[in-house]
Amino acid sequence: MSFFKNLFGKKDDEPKPFSRTALDIDLGFIFEYDLRSWEVQAVYEYDWGDEDFSKEFKVYDGTETYYLAVEEDDEVEMVWSQKIPLAKIEGDIAEEIVTKERPPKTIVYDSTTYYLDEECPGYFHEKGEPDDQWQEFIAWEYYDETEHFNLSIEQWGERSFEASLGRVLAKHEISDILPRKL
Amino acid sequence: MSIFKRIFNIGKAETNAALNKLEDPIKMTEQGIRDLKKDLDTALQSLAEIKALAIRARNDHNTYSSKAKDYEKKAILLLQRAEKGELDTAEADRLAQEALTKKKDNEGMATQAATDKEKFDGNIASMESKIKRLRQSISQYENELKTLKARVKVSTATKNINKQMAQIDSSSTVSLLERMKDKVAEEEALAESYGEIANESRSLDEEIDRALEDESPASDDLAALKAKLNQNKS
Repeated sequence: MSFFKNLFGKKDDEPKPFSRTALDIDLGFIFEYDLRSWEVQAVYEYDWGDEDFSKEFKVYDGTETYYLAVEEDDEVEMVWSQKIPLAKIEGDIAEEIVTKERPPKTIVYDSTTYYLDEECPGYFHEKGEPDDQWQEFIAWEYYDETEHFNLSIEQWGERSFEASLGRVLAKHEISDILPRKL
Repeated sequence: MSIFKRIFNIGKAETNAALNKLEDPIKMTEQGIRDLKKDLDTALQSLAEIKALAIRARNDHNTYSSKAKDYEKKAILLLQRAEKGELDTAEADRLAQEALTKKKDNEGMATQAATDKEKFDGNIASMESKIKRLRQSISQYENELKTLKARVKVSTATKNINKQMAQIDSSSTVSLLERMKDKVAEEEALAESYGEIANESRSLDEEIDRALEDESPASDDLAALKAKLNQNKS
Protein backbone atom coordinates (compact mmCIF):
# COMPACT_ATOMS: atom_id res chain seq x y z
CA MET A 1 0.00 0.00 0.00
CA SER A 2 1.44 3.36 -0.93
CA PHE A 3 2.32 5.90 1.72
CA PHE A 4 -0.20 8.45 0.43
CA LYS A 5 -3.00 5.88 0.17
CA ASN A 6 -2.21 4.97 3.74
CA LEU A 7 -2.43 8.60 4.82
CA PHE A 8 -5.43 9.78 2.84
CA GLY A 9 -7.28 6.56 1.99
CA LYS A 10 -11.01 6.66 2.81
CA LYS A 11 -11.96 4.61 5.84
CA ASP A 12 -15.07 2.57 4.97
CA ASP A 13 -17.58 1.15 7.45
CA GLU A 14 -16.21 -2.11 8.72
CA PRO A 15 -18.16 -5.06 7.32
CA LYS A 16 -19.39 -7.51 9.93
CA PRO A 17 -19.48 -10.92 8.28
CA PHE A 18 -18.84 -12.61 11.65
CA SER A 19 -21.39 -10.81 13.77
CA ARG A 20 -24.67 -10.68 11.87
CA THR A 21 -27.72 -11.50 13.96
CA ALA A 22 -31.43 -11.81 13.19
CA LEU A 23 -31.68 -8.09 14.01
CA ASP A 24 -29.58 -7.31 10.91
CA ILE A 25 -31.84 -9.24 8.52
CA ASP A 26 -33.34 -7.16 5.73
CA LEU A 27 -35.19 -7.46 2.45
CA GLY A 28 -33.54 -9.96 0.09
CA PHE A 29 -31.30 -11.49 2.75
CA ILE A 30 -30.90 -15.27 2.84
CA PHE A 31 -30.51 -17.32 6.00
CA GLU A 32 -30.56 -20.93 7.11
CA TYR A 33 -33.17 -22.49 9.34
CA ASP A 34 -34.02 -26.16 9.74
CA LEU A 35 -31.42 -27.11 7.08
CA ARG A 36 -33.17 -24.99 4.46
CA SER A 37 -32.32 -21.66 2.85
CA TRP A 38 -34.91 -18.91 3.28
CA GLU A 39 -35.18 -15.71 1.29
CA VAL A 40 -36.66 -12.60 2.89
CA GLN A 41 -39.44 -11.44 0.61
CA ALA A 42 -41.01 -8.74 2.77
CA VAL A 43 -40.18 -6.83 5.92
CA TYR A 44 -42.95 -5.77 8.29
CA GLU A 45 -42.44 -3.20 11.02
CA TYR A 46 -44.55 -3.06 14.17
CA ASP A 47 -44.95 -0.11 16.53
CA TRP A 48 -46.30 -1.22 19.91
CA GLY A 49 -46.08 2.24 21.50
CA ASP A 50 -43.69 3.54 24.18
CA GLU A 51 -40.75 3.24 21.77
CA ASP A 52 -41.34 -0.50 21.52
CA PHE A 53 -40.76 -1.77 17.98
CA SER A 54 -40.39 -5.17 16.41
CA LYS A 55 -39.87 -6.66 12.96
CA GLU A 56 -41.28 -9.57 11.06
CA PHE A 57 -39.90 -11.13 7.89
CA LYS A 58 -41.94 -12.98 5.31
CA VAL A 59 -39.67 -15.76 4.12
CA TYR A 60 -39.83 -18.31 1.32
CA ASP A 61 -37.75 -21.38 0.48
CA GLY A 62 -39.20 -22.12 -2.95
CA THR A 63 -41.91 -24.33 -1.48
CA GLU A 64 -43.30 -22.83 1.73
CA THR A 65 -43.86 -19.38 3.20
CA TYR A 66 -43.23 -18.66 6.87
CA TYR A 67 -42.85 -15.59 9.07
CA LEU A 68 -39.94 -14.81 11.37
CA ALA A 69 -40.78 -12.30 14.11
CA VAL A 70 -37.78 -10.65 15.78
CA GLU A 71 -37.86 -8.45 18.85
CA GLU A 72 -35.05 -7.13 21.03
CA ASP A 73 -36.08 -7.12 24.66
CA ASP A 74 -32.84 -7.39 26.71
CA GLU A 75 -32.08 -10.26 24.36
CA VAL A 76 -33.26 -11.22 20.89
CA GLU A 77 -36.59 -13.06 20.89
CA MET A 78 -37.70 -14.89 17.76
CA VAL A 79 -40.85 -16.69 16.71
CA TRP A 80 -41.14 -18.82 13.58
CA SER A 81 -44.76 -18.94 12.45
CA GLN A 82 -47.14 -19.89 9.70
CA LYS A 83 -50.65 -18.67 9.06
CA ILE A 84 -53.42 -21.09 10.01
CA PRO A 85 -57.12 -21.00 9.14
CA LEU A 86 -59.08 -19.32 11.94
CA ALA A 87 -61.83 -21.91 11.43
CA LYS A 88 -59.49 -24.66 12.63
CA ILE A 89 -59.40 -23.16 16.11
CA GLU A 90 -62.11 -24.61 18.33
CA GLY A 91 -65.03 -22.25 18.94
CA ASP A 92 -65.96 -19.11 17.06
CA ILE A 93 -63.13 -16.85 18.18
CA ALA A 94 -64.01 -13.97 15.86
CA GLU A 95 -67.65 -13.91 16.99
CA GLU A 96 -66.65 -14.06 20.64
CA ILE A 97 -64.26 -11.12 20.23
CA VAL A 98 -66.85 -9.07 18.35
CA THR A 99 -69.77 -9.76 20.69
CA LYS A 100 -67.99 -9.85 24.04
CA GLU A 101 -65.37 -7.29 23.01
CA ARG A 102 -62.69 -9.43 24.58
CA PRO A 103 -60.92 -12.63 23.57
CA PRO A 104 -61.32 -16.00 25.32
CA LYS A 105 -58.74 -16.75 28.03
CA THR A 106 -57.90 -20.11 26.48
CA ILE A 107 -58.19 -21.49 22.98
CA VAL A 108 -57.74 -25.00 21.62
CA TYR A 109 -55.99 -25.75 18.35
CA ASP A 110 -55.04 -29.20 17.14
CA SER A 111 -55.83 -30.69 20.60
CA THR A 112 -53.46 -28.27 22.35
CA THR A 113 -54.69 -25.63 24.78
CA TYR A 114 -53.19 -22.17 24.49
CA TYR A 115 -53.44 -19.59 27.28
CA LEU A 116 -53.86 -15.85 26.75
CA ASP A 117 -50.58 -14.11 27.58
CA GLU A 118 -51.07 -10.53 26.45
CA GLU A 119 -53.12 -8.12 24.40
CA CYS A 120 -50.99 -6.00 22.07
CA PRO A 121 -52.53 -3.07 20.23
CA GLY A 122 -50.15 -1.64 17.66
CA TYR A 123 -49.45 -0.28 14.22
CA PHE A 124 -48.20 -2.17 11.18
CA HIS A 125 -46.12 -0.95 8.25
CA GLU A 126 -44.60 -2.82 5.34
CA LYS A 127 -41.08 -1.69 4.43
CA GLY A 128 -41.07 -0.02 1.05
CA GLU A 129 -44.56 1.43 1.47
CA PRO A 130 -44.94 5.19 2.10
CA ASP A 131 -43.93 6.14 5.64
CA ASP A 132 -47.38 7.48 6.54
CA GLN A 133 -49.09 4.17 5.74
CA TRP A 134 -49.32 2.57 9.15
CA GLN A 135 -52.26 0.31 9.79
CA GLU A 136 -53.83 -0.07 13.23
CA PHE A 137 -54.52 -3.55 14.54
CA ILE A 138 -54.70 -5.57 17.73
CA ALA A 139 -53.04 -8.89 18.50
CA TRP A 140 -53.70 -11.42 21.28
CA GLU A 141 -50.80 -13.69 22.08
CA TYR A 142 -51.46 -17.18 23.44
CA TYR A 143 -48.86 -19.72 24.60
CA ASP A 144 -49.10 -23.42 25.33
CA GLU A 145 -48.07 -24.86 28.72
CA THR A 146 -44.44 -25.27 27.66
CA GLU A 147 -44.33 -21.67 26.40
CA HIS A 148 -42.45 -22.96 23.37
CA PHE A 149 -45.41 -22.66 21.05
CA ASN A 150 -47.44 -19.58 20.41
CA LEU A 151 -50.75 -18.88 18.75
CA SER A 152 -51.50 -15.36 17.68
CA ILE A 153 -54.92 -13.93 16.84
CA GLU A 154 -54.96 -10.58 15.04
CA GLN A 155 -57.86 -8.26 14.38
CA TRP A 156 -57.60 -5.92 11.40
CA GLY A 157 -60.57 -3.62 11.16
CA GLU A 158 -63.93 -4.58 12.60
CA ARG A 159 -64.44 -8.09 11.33
CA SER A 160 -61.18 -9.17 9.74
CA PHE A 161 -59.22 -11.75 11.72
CA GLU A 162 -56.04 -13.73 11.12
CA ALA A 163 -54.39 -16.51 13.08
CA SER A 164 -50.88 -17.91 13.07
CA LEU A 165 -49.13 -20.72 14.87
CA GLY A 166 -45.54 -20.22 15.89
CA ARG A 167 -42.59 -21.77 17.63
CA VAL A 168 -40.24 -19.82 19.88
CA LEU A 169 -36.73 -20.09 18.46
CA ALA A 170 -33.38 -20.24 20.18
CA LYS A 171 -30.83 -17.68 18.98
CA HIS A 172 -28.61 -20.24 17.23
CA GLU A 173 -31.43 -21.67 15.12
CA ILE A 174 -31.19 -18.85 12.60
CA SER A 175 -27.75 -19.09 11.03
CA ASP A 176 -25.63 -18.19 7.99
CA ILE A 177 -27.27 -14.81 7.50
CA LEU A 178 -26.20 -13.60 4.07
CA PRO A 179 -26.59 -9.97 3.03
CA ARG A 180 -28.01 -9.17 -0.37
CA LYS A 181 -28.54 -5.87 -2.15
CA LEU A 182 -31.72 -5.79 -4.19
CA MET B 1 32.33 8.15 -4.37
CA SER B 2 32.14 11.88 -3.92
CA ILE B 3 31.31 13.29 -0.53
CA PHE B 4 28.07 14.88 -1.82
CA LYS B 5 26.83 11.58 -3.26
CA ARG B 6 27.56 9.88 0.05
CA ILE B 7 25.67 12.56 1.95
CA PHE B 8 22.76 12.22 -0.51
CA ASN B 9 22.68 8.42 -0.01
CA ILE B 10 22.70 8.79 3.75
CA GLY B 11 19.78 11.23 3.48
CA LYS B 12 17.89 8.81 1.22
CA ALA B 13 18.41 5.92 3.61
CA GLU B 14 17.27 8.02 6.56
CA THR B 15 14.12 9.12 4.67
CA ASN B 16 13.25 5.52 3.81
CA ALA B 17 13.76 4.49 7.40
CA ALA B 18 11.49 7.33 8.56
CA LEU B 19 8.76 6.32 6.08
CA ASN B 20 9.03 2.69 7.17
CA LYS B 21 8.53 3.82 10.73
CA LEU B 22 5.42 5.80 9.72
CA GLU B 23 3.89 2.64 8.25
CA ASP B 24 2.90 0.98 11.51
CA PRO B 25 2.89 -2.80 10.81
CA ILE B 26 0.01 -3.39 13.26
CA LYS B 27 -2.18 -0.78 11.57
CA MET B 28 -1.21 -2.20 8.18
CA THR B 29 -2.24 -5.71 9.31
CA GLU B 30 -5.51 -4.38 10.72
CA GLN B 31 -6.21 -2.71 7.38
CA GLY B 32 -5.33 -5.98 5.63
CA ILE B 33 -7.84 -7.86 7.81
CA ARG B 34 -10.49 -5.20 7.14
CA ASP B 35 -9.88 -5.64 3.40
CA LEU B 36 -10.21 -9.41 3.77
CA LYS B 37 -13.47 -8.95 5.65
CA LYS B 38 -14.74 -6.80 2.79
CA ASP B 39 -13.78 -9.56 0.36
CA LEU B 40 -15.59 -12.05 2.58
CA ASP B 41 -18.69 -9.86 2.65
CA THR B 42 -18.64 -9.62 -1.14
CA ALA B 43 -18.32 -13.40 -1.34
CA LEU B 44 -21.25 -13.77 1.09
CA GLN B 45 -23.36 -11.50 -1.11
CA SER B 46 -22.50 -13.62 -4.15
CA LEU B 47 -23.42 -16.74 -2.18
CA ALA B 48 -26.73 -15.09 -1.25
CA GLU B 49 -27.38 -14.43 -4.95
CA ILE B 50 -26.76 -18.08 -5.86
CA LYS B 51 -28.92 -19.29 -2.97
CA ALA B 52 -31.70 -16.96 -4.15
CA LEU B 53 -31.36 -18.46 -7.65
CA ALA B 54 -31.57 -21.96 -6.15
CA ILE B 55 -34.73 -20.98 -4.23
CA ARG B 56 -36.19 -19.55 -7.46
CA ALA B 57 -35.27 -22.73 -9.36
CA ARG B 58 -36.99 -24.85 -6.70
CA ASN B 59 -40.03 -22.59 -6.89
CA ASP B 60 -40.01 -22.88 -10.73
CA HIS B 61 -39.70 -26.65 -10.50
CA ASN B 62 -42.67 -26.83 -8.10
CA THR B 63 -44.75 -24.42 -10.20
CA TYR B 64 -44.06 -26.16 -13.55
CA SER B 65 -44.62 -29.61 -12.02
CA SER B 66 -47.98 -28.46 -10.60
CA LYS B 67 -48.95 -26.94 -13.93
CA ALA B 68 -47.98 -30.14 -15.77
CA LYS B 69 -50.15 -32.18 -13.38
CA ASP B 70 -52.95 -29.67 -13.79
CA TYR B 71 -52.84 -29.93 -17.62
CA GLU B 72 -52.85 -33.71 -17.37
CA LYS B 73 -55.94 -33.55 -15.13
CA LYS B 74 -57.61 -31.21 -17.59
CA ALA B 75 -56.83 -33.52 -20.51
CA ILE B 76 -58.37 -36.45 -18.56
CA LEU B 77 -61.45 -34.35 -17.69
CA LEU B 78 -61.90 -33.37 -21.36
CA LEU B 79 -61.75 -37.00 -22.48
CA GLN B 80 -64.13 -38.05 -19.68
CA ARG B 81 -66.65 -35.36 -20.75
CA ALA B 82 -66.41 -36.52 -24.36
CA GLU B 83 -67.01 -40.09 -23.17
CA LYS B 84 -70.09 -38.95 -21.28
CA GLY B 85 -71.26 -37.10 -24.39
CA GLU B 86 -70.98 -33.71 -22.70
CA LEU B 87 -68.43 -32.54 -25.26
CA ASP B 88 -67.81 -33.13 -28.95
CA THR B 89 -65.19 -35.87 -29.25
CA ALA B 90 -63.12 -34.13 -31.92
CA GLU B 91 -63.14 -30.89 -29.95
CA ALA B 92 -62.31 -32.76 -26.74
CA ASP B 93 -59.41 -34.55 -28.49
CA ARG B 94 -58.08 -31.27 -29.87
CA LEU B 95 -58.26 -29.56 -26.47
CA ALA B 96 -56.86 -32.61 -24.68
CA GLN B 97 -54.00 -32.67 -27.20
CA GLU B 98 -53.32 -28.98 -26.51
CA ALA B 99 -53.42 -29.65 -22.77
CA LEU B 100 -50.97 -32.55 -23.14
CA THR B 101 -48.63 -30.35 -25.19
CA LYS B 102 -48.77 -27.74 -22.44
CA LYS B 103 -48.18 -30.51 -19.90
CA LYS B 104 -45.09 -31.59 -21.81
CA ASP B 105 -43.82 -28.00 -22.07
CA ASN B 106 -44.23 -27.56 -18.33
CA GLU B 107 -42.58 -30.89 -17.61
CA GLY B 108 -39.66 -29.78 -19.76
CA MET B 109 -39.39 -26.50 -17.86
CA ALA B 110 -39.71 -28.34 -14.53
CA THR B 111 -36.83 -30.61 -15.58
CA GLN B 112 -34.78 -27.61 -16.65
CA ALA B 113 -35.51 -25.93 -13.30
CA ALA B 114 -34.47 -29.10 -11.45
CA THR B 115 -31.22 -29.21 -13.47
CA ASP B 116 -30.60 -25.53 -12.68
CA LYS B 117 -31.29 -26.20 -9.01
CA GLU B 118 -28.73 -29.01 -8.99
CA LYS B 119 -26.18 -26.80 -10.72
CA PHE B 120 -26.79 -23.98 -8.21
CA ASP B 121 -26.52 -26.44 -5.31
CA GLY B 122 -23.13 -27.50 -6.66
CA ASN B 123 -22.04 -23.85 -6.92
CA ILE B 124 -23.28 -23.22 -3.38
CA ALA B 125 -21.31 -26.16 -1.98
CA SER B 126 -18.14 -25.02 -3.74
CA MET B 127 -18.56 -21.38 -2.64
CA GLU B 128 -19.37 -22.38 0.93
CA SER B 129 -16.15 -24.36 1.20
CA LYS B 130 -14.12 -21.37 -0.11
CA ILE B 131 -15.94 -18.99 2.22
CA LYS B 132 -15.26 -21.34 5.13
CA ARG B 133 -11.53 -21.25 4.31
CA LEU B 134 -11.58 -17.45 4.07
CA ARG B 135 -13.42 -17.20 7.41
CA GLN B 136 -10.86 -19.51 9.03
CA SER B 137 -7.97 -17.48 7.59
CA ILE B 138 -9.45 -14.20 8.86
CA SER B 139 -10.05 -15.69 12.33
CA GLN B 140 -6.49 -17.03 12.36
CA TYR B 141 -5.04 -13.64 11.30
CA GLU B 142 -7.15 -11.85 13.91
CA ASN B 143 -5.93 -14.19 16.64
CA GLU B 144 -2.30 -13.84 15.51
CA LEU B 145 -2.66 -10.05 15.43
CA LYS B 146 -4.13 -10.10 18.95
CA THR B 147 -1.14 -12.13 20.17
CA LEU B 148 1.31 -9.89 18.32
CA LYS B 149 -0.30 -6.77 19.77
CA ALA B 150 0.09 -8.21 23.26
CA ARG B 151 3.71 -9.13 22.52
CA VAL B 152 4.41 -5.62 21.19
CA LYS B 153 2.92 -4.11 24.37
CA VAL B 154 5.05 -6.35 26.57
CA SER B 155 8.22 -5.73 24.57
CA THR B 156 7.62 -1.95 24.51
CA ALA B 157 7.12 -1.90 28.26
CA THR B 158 10.21 -4.08 28.79
CA LYS B 159 12.21 -1.90 26.40
CA ASN B 160 11.19 1.24 28.30
CA ILE B 161 12.10 -0.28 31.65
CA ASN B 162 15.44 -1.55 30.34
CA LYS B 163 16.16 1.80 28.74
CA GLN B 164 15.47 3.56 32.03
CA MET B 165 17.66 1.10 33.86
CA ALA B 166 20.44 1.55 31.32
CA GLN B 167 20.13 5.31 31.49
CA ILE B 168 20.39 5.24 35.29
CA ASP B 169 23.73 3.32 35.11
CA SER B 170 25.41 5.39 32.49
CA SER B 171 23.75 8.73 32.96
CA SER B 172 24.58 11.55 35.25
CA THR B 173 22.48 10.22 38.14
CA VAL B 174 25.21 7.86 39.33
CA SER B 175 28.01 10.30 38.62
CA LEU B 176 26.00 13.01 40.37
CA LEU B 177 25.78 10.76 43.39
CA GLU B 178 29.53 10.12 43.17
CA ARG B 179 30.18 13.82 42.86
CA MET B 180 27.91 14.44 45.80
CA LYS B 181 29.77 11.82 47.81
CA ASP B 182 33.09 13.48 46.93
CA LYS B 183 31.71 16.84 47.81
CA VAL B 184 30.38 15.62 51.15
CA ALA B 185 33.74 13.98 51.83
CA GLU B 186 35.48 17.24 50.95
CA GLU B 187 33.12 19.18 53.16
CA GLU B 188 33.71 16.72 55.98
CA ALA B 189 37.49 16.94 55.54
CA LEU B 190 37.26 20.69 55.46
CA ALA B 191 35.09 20.68 58.58
CA GLU B 192 37.62 18.46 60.31
CA SER B 193 40.47 20.73 59.34
CA TYR B 194 38.58 23.76 60.59
CA GLY B 195 37.94 21.82 63.79
CA GLU B 196 41.64 21.07 64.26
CA ILE B 197 42.55 24.66 63.58
CA ALA B 198 39.88 25.72 66.04
CA ASN B 199 41.29 23.30 68.64
CA GLU B 200 44.74 24.62 68.16
CA SER B 201 43.56 28.20 68.66
CA ARG B 202 41.59 27.14 71.72
CA SER B 203 44.77 25.67 73.35
CA LEU B 204 46.55 29.02 73.26
CA ASP B 205 43.56 30.76 74.70
CA GLU B 206 43.25 28.11 77.33
CA GLU B 207 46.85 28.60 78.42
CA ILE B 208 46.27 32.30 78.69
CA ASP B 209 43.02 31.72 80.56
CA ARG B 210 44.64 29.17 82.81
CA ALA B 211 47.39 31.65 83.70
CA LEU B 212 44.84 34.28 84.45
CA GLU B 213 42.61 31.88 86.41
CA ASP B 214 45.32 31.58 89.09
CA GLU B 215 44.08 34.85 90.38
CA SER B 216 40.57 33.54 90.64
CA PRO B 217 38.47 33.87 93.85
CA ALA B 218 38.47 30.04 94.18
CA SER B 219 42.26 30.08 94.77
CA ASP B 220 41.82 32.75 97.40
CA ASP B 221 39.30 30.59 99.21
CA LEU B 222 41.68 27.63 99.13
CA ALA B 223 44.51 29.72 100.60
CA ALA B 224 42.21 31.05 103.30
CA LEU B 225 41.12 27.51 104.17
CA LYS B 226 44.74 26.33 104.32
CA ALA B 227 45.64 29.25 106.58
CA LYS B 228 42.74 28.42 108.85
CA LEU B 229 43.83 24.79 109.14
CA ASN B 230 47.41 25.89 110.02
CA GLN B 231 46.08 28.23 112.78
CA ASN B 232 44.12 25.39 114.38
CA LYS B 233 47.19 23.14 114.38
CA SER B 234 49.25 25.74 116.18
